[in-house]
Amino acid sequence: MADKNTSTAPAVAPPTRPNRPLSEALLNEKWDHCLSTLLIRSTLGASFGVIFSVLLFKRRSWPVWAGLGFGAGRAWEECDSSFKRATAPSRDGLRVLRP
Amino acid sequence: MLRIAVARSAGLEQGLRLGLRRQWQQPARSWTLIRGYADDRPADKTVLPGVPGAQTGTIAGVPQAPIEATATHNPTQTNLSPNEPPKPPPTPPTPTEVKSNAPAPSTNTGNLPPTGTGTAKTGPSSAPPPKKRRRFRSFLLTLIILSALGYAGGVYYSLVNDNFHDFFTEYVPFGEDAVAYFEEREYRRRFPAREIQGRTWPQTRGENKVTIARQSGVNPRVADENDNAGADLAQKGRHTSAVQENKAKPAESKKEEKPEVTHKLTPKKDEKTVTTPSEPKPTPPAASLVDNQNIAEGQERAVQELVKLVNNVITAVNASPEAPKYANTIASAKSDLDKVIAEIKIMRDQTAQEADTQIKNAHLEFDTAAKELVRRLESEMREQETRWREEYEQERERLSTSYQQKLSAELDAAKKVLESKNQNALLEQEISLQKKFMDSVKAKVEEERSGRLSKLDELSSNVEELEKLTSQWNEVVDTTLQTQHLQVALEALRAKLQESDHPTPFINELVALKEVSKNDEVVSAAIASINPAAYQRGVPSAASIIDRFRRVATEVRKASLLPEDAGVASHAASAVLSRLMFQKKSDRGLPEGEDVEATLARTEVLLEEGDLDAAAREMNGLKGWAGVLSRDWVTECRRVLEVRQAVDVIATEARLKSLLVD
Repeated sequence: MADKNTSTAPAVAPPTRPNRPLSEALLNEKWDHCLSTLLIRSTLGASFGVIFSVLLFKRRSWPVWAGLGFGAGRAWEECDSSFKRATAPSRDGLRVLRP
Repeated sequence: MLRIAVARSAGLEQGLRLGLRRQWQQPARSWTLIRGYADDRPADKTVLPGVPGAQTGTIAGVPQAPIEATATHNPTQTNLSPNEPPKPPPTPPTPTEVKSNAPAPSTNTGNLPPTGTGTAKTGPSSAPPPKKRRRFRSFLLTLIILSALGYAGGVYYSLVNDNFHDFFTEYVPFGEDAVAYFEEREYRRRFPAREIQGRTWPQTRGENKVTIARQSGVNPRVADENDNAGADLAQKGRHTSAVQENKAKPAESKKEEKPEVTHKLTPKKDEKTVTTPSEPKPTPPAASLVDNQNIAEGQERAVQELVKLVNNVITAVNASPEAPKYANTIASAKSDLDKVIAEIKIMRDQTAQEADTQIKNAHLEFDTAAKELVRRLESEMREQETRWREEYEQERERLSTSYQQKLSAELDAAKKVLESKNQNALLEQEISLQKKFMDSVKAKVEEERSGRLSKLDELSSNVEELEKLTSQWNEVVDTTLQTQHLQVALEALRAKLQESDHPTPFINELVALKEVSKNDEVVSAAIASINPAAYQRGVPSAASIIDRFRRVATEVRKASLLPEDAGVASHAASAVLSRLMFQKKSDRGLPEGEDVEATLARTEVLLEEGDLDAAAREMNGLKGWAGVLSRDWVTECRRVLEVRQAVDVIATEARLKSLLVD
């Protein structure tokens, strides 16, 4: 029994799970992640656009915008999928045992 | 190809731009030449394949005659256009120019489609025809040589490398045969002797072959009757019929006749020889022979001998020529013979009488001897009888004495057994008597003792009853104490649960409660129903639950407008638009409906009233993102409710126990 084990060692702290957030903070965490990815991806895309515009396109501005759009689009897509996946419980690692 | 095309386009440009000429070409002439050819083309058509096409047509077997023929600005082909005005002989091109132009009008020009609209579009084929042919020949030669070399190399390498062998034999035509030939040669070089012995020996020797004719062997044939007549007895013939005359007889009868003649001849000769000794019989016999049959006492053997002797003498005398002389003597001899015979008879009678007398004497002797023998035997038998009788008497006495001895011994043994039995019976009787005596003594002693000690037994039973009573009272006291302890432990647990603002573990209280309850089933079941995380981490108080509910409610409200499968846009829209919504107030009763706002309002009211159970039920009914966000809060509420339920159960159990005591 669990209570007998704990009676021998009552001072032991219960195991905490830091990786699992509180349920009400779930959406906030997702939003944080989304914003950071948006920033990073769009910055990356824009920088690639800058490089291309300098190297190939005679310093025109549209490659920069295109890169930015690519980055932002990727971030958006990732964010969207993360939101959509969140409600349904993840099935990663689950296996079906056949008789 | 690109290069060729460029060259061709350059040539076309050349054709168009009249100013750009090769240095050995005259500008005006070339222009007129081109135009003239374009005009005269229909006229030339019939001529074209004949003269120059015979030279160019050999190239690669492609029908390129028209295109080749269009290269009229080539100054070397002067005979192409017969109606062209005579021109001055062009200056021959320098060898370097020829080399530089050589690739452009190569054989490939014919394969390309016409590119421009102009007729002077083809590249100039400046190379002279004999040289071209020689080049083609050399190209063909080099091609053949190269391919042969490559083939040979491939064969050799396929003998060396196995992978290449597979590739070569599979993809190169006749490669397999070639490689197999070389392998066979190698094999023969390596094993010559075995090869000769094994395969080619019977063929190379050339010995006379045995040919079997067609007609040889056994073949069927109709049997001929006249072939071997008489060999087969089953066949029909004369031997089967008894009536038919035997034709083979004459030969045999002739053969048989010859011995008959000889047989007949031999006995005749014998007869002659037999008859011859009877012929010389001049003298008559002196006397007749004595008849040995009719003589007296003919059965006697001595008489017969005698007669034989006399007969011999008579025959001897008869044989002699002076037979009549001895006739008297022979007659006297005959009379003597009769006398002798008579004497013999007398002697025989005498000996017979003597023998009779001797026989009688012998009979008498035998009778006396037999009588003596019988007498002696009788006396012996008598003696033996008397001896046997004596022995019999002795034996009988001996047997009777032995039997009497045995009888007396057995009688003694029976007597002894009887005595011992009697003694045993006596001993048993004695023992039983002693036992009876002991029993009677014991019974009397017991009677005496029970009379005095019965009072002691009563006393001891009384003491036992008293002990039982005291022990019962002790149990009562113990149970009361136990219930009291249970109550105390329960109170401690309740206090621990209520006093703390932040969750604190209450393991110690639970352990104490379990020990006090002495493994009561209800109490242990109630404790087991509590989630281990609850007593390890503690349970939040009602105030903290309400506080957390406020935080959860704001988050849930943000996600209240989300559709089923929401993406980023809908999340953002929901977060923004939910701020603009009016909150449902519960001032005038609980709001109805399944929407998130109504649920939140009802839950808040229930929480303020202290009904944690109903509040948790309400929040548990949320779905989608709202349910996901409020999941942790609901589980916390459930844990608190479990603890409360367990404590209530334990309290009722304790109360029941305290009631049962009295």
